[in-house]
Amino acid sequence: MTAESGVTTYFSRPIRRNCLRMGLIVLACLIRTISISAEDLRPVSSIYGLQFGGISAYSTYLSPLTYTGTVFGVYGNWQKALPFSPDNAIMEFDTSVKGGTMLNPPATARMVDLDFSLSWGMAYRKRLPYNLQATAGGDLRVDGGMLWLTRNGNNPVAARAYPDIAAKGSLSWHLSIGRLPILIADEVRIPVAGLFFSPAYGETYYEIYLGNRSGLVHFGYPGNHFTLSNLFTVNLDFGRTAMQIGYRLETDTSWCNNINTHIYRNMLVIGVIPGGLGLKNKNKNCNHARY
Amino acid sequence: MRATDQIQRLPKTVASRLLLLLLLLAGSCHEKEEYPDDAMGNLELLWTIIDRHYCYLEEKGIDWDSIGRVYKSRIHPEITYGEYFDLCASMLNELRDGHVNLSSQWDTSRYAKWWTDYPQDFDLRTLQEYYLDFDYRQTSGIMYKIFTDPDSIGYMRYASFSSTIGETNLDYILSQMEGCKGIIIDIRNNGGGAMTNIRTLVSRFIKEKTLAGYMRHKTGPGHGDFSDPYPIEYEPADSRRVRYDGPIAVLTNRSCFSAANDFVAVMKTLPQAKIVGARTGGGGGLPFSSELPIGWAVRFSACPVTDVEGIDIEEGIDPSPGCECHSPAEALASGRDPILDFALQLLSTS
Repeated sequence: MTAESGVTTYFSRPIRRNCLRMGLIVLACLIRTISISAEDLRPVSSIYGLQFGGISAYSTYLSPLTYTGTVFGVYGNWQKALPFSPDNAIMEFDTSVKGGTMLNPPATARMVDLDFSLSWGMAYRKRLPYNLQATAGGDLRVDGGMLWLTRNGNNPVAARAYPDIAAKGSLSWHLSIGRLPILIADEVRIPVAGLFFSPAYGETYYEIYLGNRSGLVHFGYPGNHFTLSNLFTVNLDFGRTAMQIGYRLETDTSWCNNINTHIYRNMLVIGVIPGGLGLKNKNKNCNHARY
Repeated sequence: MRATDQIQRLPKTVASRLLLLLLLLAGSCHEKEEYPDDAMGNLELLWTIIDRHYCYLEEKGIDWDSIGRVYKSRIHPEITYGEYFDLCASMLNELRDGHVNLSSQWDTSRYAKWWTDYPQDFDLRTLQEYYLDFDYRQTSGIMYKIFTDPDSIGYMRYASFSSTIGETNLDYILSQMEGCKGIIIDIRNNGGGAMTNIRTLVSRFIKEKTLAGYMRHKTGPGHGDFSDPYPIEYEPADSRRVRYDGPIAVLTNRSCFSAANDFVAVMKTLPQAKIVGARTGGGGGLPFSSELPIGWAVRFSACPVTDVEGIDIEEGIDPSPGCECHSPAEALASGRDPILDFALQLLSTS
């Protein structure tokens, strides 16, 4: 008889299986208890949505013409009340991925836009009279992407890469139409400082590939790199779920190394908020993260 | 009293801060330059693109302002699209640069005097029929054979740097030529392509990091706004790759342009290599692309490349001393290629 078979006889298989089941049940109950108590104190709300609309891009590194076209993307937003002040302080993650395709005015060349961003921020929340609520805070964001002019040779791409710190604020108003609670909100984000990538005026990516990396990273401030993001939304709270409809404006302009860049996106956003906004349960002293 | 003063000053303070903020924002929101899509607007933009980005205006002594005035004065209300394209192309040809093209839906303009004004010194049929006997191998855009009479000499013909050279393919070719007394690299009529292929090829003939030349780029719109020269250095191929350190002859003619010209500039610095044939066609500027409101694309030299001594290679590179020779049309027609004969003789006696 081997040592393994000896173990089998000491703890018979049915007993071992039952112990395992019991352990899993206890663990599950523990996790559930912790998560319930955490959600009560620090509720989490999330939004998952699609965004689509128009884009225009002008980058003198690539072309002296303004390209226009359509952009499509997805976005996600997660908000959570902070433990030290669940009623007044919130933490937020925000991410989006966008892709656009554009043509020059005579429609003889195509430009592609790709963009990815991820941000983490905190905000102070103040409930105001007349069902108004304001937030003010800041976030850290990493943004990357590129404009790709498909017919260019040694200057085919205007790459974007910038981490930045932004000021962020929002104002929202809770009202009801009939028995449907609605939250109307507007959120503005303006970076105040960061770093961004830019090649020199006539520098090719081949020279960068050869190893000339000097002068590629620049300190960004609104004077040389101004971006603004504004999101206006109407949120319809159906109780177990809510729907977000809105309009997002994004501007990204820079003037660096005599290279002028203007990118504008105007997008409709449609999102889903699983679990709703908690507006229907407002009278039951619900302390939802989003409102 | 002090509090009252502060209250009175408050609007001014807020206003001045807002003004400062607006000024900061105005800096990044630099105004777009718009050019009308008409004959004058397109020509004006074409002239401006070259004026701000073209890298050889000073070196070539081109009075671009004067050229602009002359060509703008030739626009008339009845000008047709074809005439207008030719007018723009003629203005660009004043740059005397094979890297400058204007591309419309029906034509691509080009400046070709860098090779049309000179003998060709090459005939593919003569090479294939009288030297290769139509019996050769070809891979990665390289045609190759080993000549065995009287000596064993490897021959590689690389017709375009646009053909990507596979490392393994090159391993095979060079391993075949390992015992050869020398190798001929024939790049006659090679009009250039990707500079990364230069690196692949050169890395097989060097033992240590080698300076190949310098590159500069424009730092602003002024004719003299250039960065400091940045060294172009090539690393030897990985030790697992097949390398060749015997004598090499690189065959050139006036149709060697752009990346082929750059390749010659590097090979000329190697002690075991000789440049045999005629002066190359030049094309030392790395081209940029732009476009016009009418939809036409324009390409032009933007980043000048020099050799290791800092000498411009835009106008071409001479063969190694004592290695200039030509293959006249009569000789080629009779089945002889004097440039190739010269290289075979050179390597046989080396």
